[in-house]
Amino acid sequence: MYFKGINSYGDRGMILDFGDDSSKSISLEVNKAFSSISNLRLPLLNIIPSFNKIVIIFENSEIRDQNKETITLEMSDIKFQSHKSANKTWKIPACYDESFALDLKLIQRLHQITKEEIINLHTSESYYTYYIGFMPGFPYLGDIPSQLITPRLATPRIKIPARSIGIAKNHTCIYPKISPGGWNIIGQIPFDIFDLQNPNPSLFLPGDKVSFYSVSNKEFQQIQKKHFSINELIKEYSS
Amino acid sequence: MNSLVITRTGTHLTIQDFGRFHYQHLGVSPSGAMDQRIIKELEKIIPLHHNQFIEFAYVGPSIKVKEGSVKVCVGGNCNINIQKNNGTQIICQPYKSINLFEGDELNIHNTIDSVYGYIAVEHGLGLDPCLKSFSTDTKAGIGSINRPLKVDDTFEILKDVSSWDLLSMPNPAYKKETNFKVHPGPQLQFFTDQALQSFISSTFTISAQSDRMGIRLKGEAILSSQSHDILSEGILPGSIQVPSDGQPIVLMRDIPCTGGYPKIAILNGEDISKISQLPPGSQITFDLQTIY
Repeated sequence: MYFKGINSYGDRGMILDFGDDSSKSISLEVNKAFSSISNLRLPLLNIIPSFNKIVIIFENSEIRDQNKETITLEMSDIKFQSHKSANKTWKIPACYDESFALDLKLIQRLHQITKEEIINLHTSESYYTYYIGFMPGFPYLGDIPSQLITPRLATPRIKIPARSIGIAKNHTCIYPKISPGGWNIIGQIPFDIFDLQNPNPSLFLPGDKVSFYSVSNKEFQQIQKKHFSINELIKEYSS
Repeated sequence: MNSLVITRTGTHLTIQDFGRFHYQHLGVSPSGAMDQRIIKELEKIIPLHHNQFIEFAYVGPSIKVKEGSVKVCVGGNCNINIQKNNGTQIICQPYKSINLFEGDELNIHNTIDSVYGYIAVEHGLGLDPCLKSFSTDTKAGIGSINRPLKVDDTFEILKDVSSWDLLSMPNPAYKKETNFKVHPGPQLQFFTDQALQSFISSTFTISAQSDRMGIRLKGEAILSSQSHDILSEGILPGSIQVPSDGQPIVLMRDIPCTGGYPKIAILNGEDISKISQLPPGSQITFDLQTIY
């Protein structure tokens, strides 16, 4: 167990502390606690998991203080060992063509590997969704094979195309929409992963498993034309 | 049918409410009115505001009644006049409801010794919520209108004015505060006693690069003895983060959902509204409460 305790964060917030490190096993514990506390339906305004913390904010300090004991009790009751979860497993089509993979050449040079090796490595793992952050629907996935670990771009791009797949350090990600950013871009997926019209707007949730499979540009265009909704994507690409 | 049209935008004109909650774990910022005291006050004068307030910063907009009639009220510290449809001009006051008729134009001038002001319209602006809130987050492109308002944006108000009676409240004339009591931030231990001492004894100046995301401060550099780069974690409005240049940023309503800079302190929730009203150039100090 990594959970260290609960600290105040200002007059209406609290932080659940899981230490200073980051690993998949810490994140599994964080996301387990995140879903358990979310399921308590407490009168909270936001609950935000990340690599090794959960931040919770309430309307005011009275409500925060009234709910601290319930959360403390819940944390002592959680069975962190059982990994039964409601999370989804995704298989996501990805096109690694040069037209999308803006930084493929850079990564080939840096690691002295071929384009095929990069694709094989990136599609070889089932990634874990640490959390969603940075922008609406942006998943922090990991960990990528060590041969692909690459620092962030020295100069961030001003505009990364929507749906781009990036890698940085030991993580991989998908940009839900056009954005500035410093991740190395290696491909693109053929659909949106965040939909404001849906009451559950994000395709991925913390704790989901995500793997990629390589598709040709032609297949990519065909999927793109279908304009899948979030609900259709769940049926088509998750289990 | 009653309708309003924007004829001049002023600056940073957006739709805001009390905030968009329950989505920050999906990367969605809470947003909401920068000064929530004012929209709470407007609620007393226009109870049927439907949570659709127009927020402006520094310079207010001009809004014309295209069809029918509407009841509005302005909140904030600003000069207001109405160009009536018959050519006459009337001076108006904030926190007093105003009946506007076809052809009337409401003109709001600059905010005086403050930054933000608001307009409440009876029966709202005919908008649909987006993720259960009307607030606009222009950086993320989220909102019932997902961008700042523009000239010719038109709002249709389906219901008619409930009563021509006018209501007014005394101008709350909020006292300008420049000393803020703050709580220790989650990374307080990243700063030496000496750095903390200089944080509470220095005077910081609010930079012109401040916006709905954050208020940037200029002053003596506050440097961490450990690191200015932490693993990203959830952050709350009011947090004071310190990037590697040592110049603190007070995070405001359009907060990035997670952040990787150490946070030295956090404001009381109610002080977020107060600090939002300090124009660039204002000088502020912090008083660190030792509650641990």
